[in-house]
Amino acid sequence: MYDNNVSLAIRNLLKDKTRLALSIGGIALAIMLILILDGFRAGMFRQITAYVDHSTGSIIVAQEGVNNLLGISSILPLGATSTVKKAEGVADAVPILSQFVILDLHGKKQPAYMVGYSPARGGGPWRLAAGREPSSDREVVFDRVLAERHEIQLGSTVEILDKDFTVVGLSDGTASWMTSFFFVRKTAAEDLLLAPGATSFLLVTIEDGIAPEVVRDRINRQSGVNASLKSDIAANDLKLFGRYFSAPIQLMSGIAFLVGTLVVGLVIYTATVERRREYGVLKAIGARNGLLYRVVATQALIAALSGTIIGVGLAFAVSEWIMAVRPQFLIVFESFNAAQTILIGLSMALIAALFPARMLAELAPAEVFRK
Amino acid sequence: MIRLAFRNLFQNRARLIISVGGVALSLLLILSLDAIFTGVEGQVTAYIDHSGADIFVSQAGVRNMHMASSSLPTSVETKVKAVPGVESVTPILYATNMIVVGEERNAAYVIGLPTTVKAGGAWIVSSGRSSPNKKGTIIDRGVAEKSGVGLGDEVEIFGEDFKVVGLSEGTASLFNSVAFISRDDFADSRDSASVVSFLLVKVKEGYSIESVAAQIESLVDDVTAQPRSEFAEQERKVIKDMSTDVIAMMNLIAFFIGLAVMALTVYVATHARRAEYGVLKALGARNTHLYFTVLIQALLSVILGFGVGLVFTLVLTIIAPLLSTSLALAISGESLIKVAAVSLIITGGSAILPIMQITGLDPAIVFRK
Amino acid sequence: MNNETMNNKATLKVERVTKRYGSGTTEVTAVHEVSLSVAPGEIVLIMGPSGSGKTTLLSMLGALLKPTEGTIQLNGDVISALAENRLPDIRLRQFGFIFQDFNLLSALTALENVAIVAELAGIKSNAARHKAASLLTDLGLGGRLNFLPEKLSGGEKQRVAIARALINDPALILADEPTANLDSKIGHEIMRLLRRIAKDQNRSVVIVSHDQRIKDIADRVLWLEDGEFKEMTVMATDPVCGMAIEQTKAAATWVVGGVTYYFCSRGCRAEFESKLSEK
Repeated sequence: MYDNNVSLAIRNLLKDKTRLALSIGGIALAIMLILILDGFRAGMFRQITAYVDHSTGSIIVAQEGVNNLLGISSILPLGATSTVKKAEGVADAVPILSQFVILDLHGKKQPAYMVGYSPARGGGPWRLAAGREPSSDREVVFDRVLAERHEIQLGSTVEILDKDFTVVGLSDGTASWMTSFFFVRKTAAEDLLLAPGATSFLLVTIEDGIAPEVVRDRINRQSGVNASLKSDIAANDLKLFGRYFSAPIQLMSGIAFLVGTLVVGLVIYTATVERRREYGVLKAIGARNGLLYRVVATQALIAALSGTIIGVGLAFAVSEWIMAVRPQFLIVFESFNAAQTILIGLSMALIAALFPARMLAELAPAEVFRK
Repeated sequence: MIRLAFRNLFQNRARLIISVGGVALSLLLILSLDAIFTGVEGQVTAYIDHSGADIFVSQAGVRNMHMASSSLPTSVETKVKAVPGVESVTPILYATNMIVVGEERNAAYVIGLPTTVKAGGAWIVSSGRSSPNKKGTIIDRGVAEKSGVGLGDEVEIFGEDFKVVGLSEGTASLFNSVAFISRDDFADSRDSASVVSFLLVKVKEGYSIESVAAQIESLVDDVTAQPRSEFAEQERKVIKDMSTDVIAMMNLIAFFIGLAVMALTVYVATHARRAEYGVLKALGARNTHLYFTVLIQALLSVILGFGVGLVFTLVLTIIAPLLSTSLALAISGESLIKVAAVSLIITGGSAILPIMQITGLDPAIVFRK
Repeated sequence: MNNETMNNKATLKVERVTKRYGSGTTEVTAVHEVSLSVAPGEIVLIMGPSGSGKTTLLSMLGALLKPTEGTIQLNGDVISALAENRLPDIRLRQFGFIFQDFNLLSALTALENVAIVAELAGIKSNAARHKAASLLTDLGLGGRLNFLPEKLSGGEKQRVAIARALINDPALILADEPTANLDSKIGHEIMRLLRRIAKDQNRSVVIVSHDQRIKDIADRVLWLEDGEFKEMTVMATDPVCGMAIEQTKAAATWVVGGVTYYFCSRGCRAEFESKLSEK
């Protein structure tokens, strides 16, 4: 009995090649969209937390009241560095001075996050694609992708806050479409921001055998500072930045799902309507509604399965193309697994099969005898 | 044939709803996203537009406020005052920080105002003081409501407690709001007694703003002086440049969604009517007559979808500010033109398959039982 | 019958038209060397079993299909040789089609169904609607102008179809089983209507039908079988053994008192003869 369903379903589907292509295409496109949108979101999150994820240590100390790295300016009280270092359990506290700046590149405004650090102590780029770290106050390590987009190479001059810097290194993993990172010496940053000796954040490494929370709480007993676990800082940054784009992205995913379902639904519905007589005949010779549902559902599932597989393939291909053409976008497929994708494809199919199934249920077998 | 297109379109309600709905959804996506960004662009410059300043003087190389910081030595104030044509100079301190009430955190531009404010203060204060006193702050009313605080309550800025002494209007945007504190409190919290961020300059009667700005730049070292309109333009540009690629990507996605739905419904509609089109061919209609009918049908669907999408977006622009004072949508002419063009492309694209179907239709089909 | 007299004043002249489908071992001849001419005002009925090629012949007459061999002339123009892009015009102005299933456009009213054909011929919308309205009123549908086909009875629908077929003043009306979906009373009315149109308006009418009753209004009846026109066979019964035999294929005949008897074999005739002489 099951074999008959499948073969009837397949034969019905194949009879109109265009319709089959359209229904598979509809699902494939919808799945591709959903996967790419989700991958874009995951990639965006990864870009936002790139610095925090790769920085040294497990605790970040900021000005009191600040528990973000990005988006909020933070200046630690003078002497905070040495006081924090003295706290029990602290192995090292690396100071950085950081600030959002707007760079004017090729007439386009490019927001970028400047990190002023001491190459000797750390807090700078974690992976260099080319060149070296800055050794003087007019040298900068620039994000590789941003450099490529604006034809900046090793040795080029970049204007930062009206001062010329020479690019001596290109960093990897620091790209983002919202903001890229670049690195100068801490003293250079102090000079640019007219803030001699200032520190924005301390990257704290703790000694072995102690829980980070304990050390964090200890540091927080000091006044004027706010210590947080790196993971919390990352989460807060995500909340601040990711929040604005998460909603529209999820909205688009929802719409893609809806449209995919509509497309398949419409195709199967019209296919079923055209075959009304055949189904009427089946009913007249005794087929139950359940059987007819299964035929329609099988059609939908076949389209869904093939569509899902093609959609996944398309998602990979298209995202590769997007990242090649616009390298500041990052699309990662880690968070979406195969099971979730197939589930989405299946639910699209099953929902799409509902209306035709309803129609078949109400079909009177006497349809057969109508001229 | 137009009448036929009309009638055919409206005869099948379900298909009409799906096609119009699909187009409406996709165009709504494009329109509303544009509207959000246009709205933000408008809000982002609220402080600048309402500051009352003619010229903004900033650290050399800093041309806007958002995602930037500017530091000038206090000595610059006197130098700028000495430039001919300058009527008044209001120094302000500026940083981005959080307004914290318990667990509620709202990002804010914090402006440190001097005691005499000729420009750059809160422009509409609905209740309380119009300028901040010691350890007092004026925050946006919407943000205050969201945080559950009112006049007299405490909020935390820069990690320190401030009392809410005034509530302002029009000082919030989707991304953050503006909070005013006194310059002294700012300097204390941030150890920045010897710097200012911006100098807000008012120009004397009879002097041209552009030339005074140019004078300031040439007479004072290491500063950038911009007329207010230019400063605002640069600010808007930051948002625009940052979002163009993303908007383009989302627009493309929405476009394909609209095209897919239209192409499918027009294809299915034509297929369902192929017997009737066959009859028309047998009766003597040319292919071009039938192409025209199908095209008009597609165009009508798209126009309806456009209308629905536009109405929904308009409704959103009205509702949004009621839901949250920081959300403002604005539909720009550019956006409408873009969406109209997209609609036309969708119409044309969706007609391709049906035109192929009609061309291949054999009029002898009328006799097939 | 292949020896129709070729009338030079004929509206429609069909000369040795053949239609073949496929090739090689799968070749099928649907119509074989059919010739026919129809004069203005003449009603020709083509009958025949299913699969006889009636539909194929009608399609070719209506310029919906091109013959493999032979020519079809309408008022002197050889339409079978015309290029595809000239055909819509011919279909529009020279022919009027009436179908078994009515084939009205379901989304248009009766009036619009008729008017649209006039508009296709270039008549302006108002004039077309006017003309359609008067045609429909003449046919007794004055009160049904704004009804959709789904609200019309079978007879009304066929009358709308007839109005549609007439609106561009065609020389030839082609009808495919016009009464098949109508009850007998309405069918009668439609037939009388067709006759009136042919005679009063001097149009040629070719009808393809199973319906025996149409013979009553036809000027000529032709029998198409296996793609060729044949004599209509008349059946007779052998009086001795009771077998049914075709008159022309009877083995033996005997004429008695002006009545012709047909026998299946000489044996039956012999028996008949002896029975008669016994009386």
